[in-house]
Amino acid sequence: MTSLAADVVSALQVGAVVALAPLLTGIMRKVKARTQKRMGASVFQPYYELSKLWVKDEVVSESTSWIFSSTPWIVAVATVTAAFFVPVFLPFSPFSAAGDLLLVVGLLALARFFTMLAGIDAASAFGGIGTSREMMISSLVEPGLFLTIFVVSLTLGGTNLTSLVVAAAKTGVVIAPSMLFALISLFVIILAETGRLPFDNPATHLELTMVHEAMVLEYSGRSLALLEWSQSTKQLVLLALLVNLFLPLGMPTSIEAGVTMLGLGSVAVLLKVCLLAAVVAYVETRVAKWRLFRVPDLLAVAIAVAMVGMVFFYL
Amino acid sequence: MQVPLSEILTLTAVGLLLSTFGVVVRRSFEGWLSAYRYQSVVLAGSTAVIAYETGLWEIYAAAVLTLVVKAVIIPRLLVRVTDSVKDEFKIEANPLVSIRLSLLISALLIALSYGLIHETLISANLDVYALTYLPVSLSLFFIGLFVMVSRRMALNQVVGLLIIENGLFLFTTALTQGVSLIIEVGILADILVGVMISALLLLRMSQTFDSFDMASLESLKDD
Repeated sequence: MTSLAADVVSALQVGAVVALAPLLTGIMRKVKARTQKRMGASVFQPYYELSKLWVKDEVVSESTSWIFSSTPWIVAVATVTAAFFVPVFLPFSPFSAAGDLLLVVGLLALARFFTMLAGIDAASAFGGIGTSREMMISSLVEPGLFLTIFVVSLTLGGTNLTSLVVAAAKTGVVIAPSMLFALISLFVIILAETGRLPFDNPATHLELTMVHEAMVLEYSGRSLALLEWSQSTKQLVLLALLVNLFLPLGMPTSIEAGVTMLGLGSVAVLLKVCLLAAVVAYVETRVAKWRLFRVPDLLAVAIAVAMVGMVFFYL
Repeated sequence: MQVPLSEILTLTAVGLLLSTFGVVVRRSFEGWLSAYRYQSVVLAGSTAVIAYETGLWEIYAAAVLTLVVKAVIIPRLLVRVTDSVKDEFKIEANPLVSIRLSLLISALLIALSYGLIHETLISANLDVYALTYLPVSLSLFFIGLFVMVSRRMALNQVVGLLIIENGLFLFTTALTQGVSLIIEVGILADILVGVMISALLLLRMSQTFDSFDMASLESLKDD
């Protein structure tokens, strides 16, 4: 494949990720509503919300600084840049020579850091609550996340995302036991990273238990649309990463596999991500939000499981 | 598709270890019992795999007995006996070692048992069952012991004892591939009687002390 064709294909990939991310949020909401015996809004509802927010006026508190107004753009840019590094639909990502899995984690952490800063910038009580909780959760997520990354890198070789996904696609259906532990650990971590139950309830707007919503409570209009869109994109990227690393069924082993195989692979990824999203939504229906100080228990499970995965690797 | 035997064995080993984590992380009696039930089902499954591979009918019988006794009878018995106990005595509110720390310690214990088995027995000519299940049985033993010493509630200690017993069962099955059935039945009857006796003791304890907290046993009751 020539470099120009590769650039076009990968730009299309990132475009598809950004365009389809709200749809995934819509599907998750729909599944959640149906498992709770509600009809739920259409799966395209997030698009309507985003387009409504995009044209609405913004209300910005007078006491805020430049951090508040620039945060939505920083978050959006960091998240989309992270999407450039992740092979979502194809076993290839444009920037994978320039950065690896750790860089993706770093970019998402940058987005999270600025969200936290913006939460305290407006000096409202809710923002402070949300920020302190987010800091607690994210600092506890890191060790589990890095142990999981170690297990994955050791098992599949390297931290380069393209080579990781290709290596996973080559192993096929039979999954190594260490990867099985890493899968469980990463699932818990993704629930925490994307702010799903039992860590955070994405459906609330005015509760004392909220975390992410509390940080972005001051935002309105276009900024809010950007933040919500980035959150959806982050969710799609992380779920696709989980699918591509651990359930690579249908993913072609090379970008040279031909248009038909690549197309089938993309459809397979899309279906698997939707299925995983449905599982997450079902889990959200089954569990209640945990008390904040019990959250470390669950993250300790993730750490312990990743540690056992490491043991299984060195077996 | 032909999935190799060692993969199936490893998957059951993973299931056993995860359900053990379930016992460590849960705080309520129902949680421990359901994790124990999952563990027993996986244990019966792995016994059935050994039976299928070796073709010995005694091991099939042992698998069925394990399923019936450990996954159905013992949990029901324990639930029924503790029916009258107040709910606040069924949760581990204040363990001696915090839940998070005990999870990490359990992971270290698993690493320790894998290390021990691979250090000591790597030269011994073991077959694939022993190689897969011996470290798991050792970790079940260690974690069960750890749960027993690190928790306050008597119910939790009974569950720890049951985990140890599961580990021992796995140990014998993996190493010998079927002791004679009469011994298996004897062991299961032994556990059943053991659980009944401990249940009776628990009832007496809750009536006398109005608590399952082991710490309260250390003080003398003067009335």
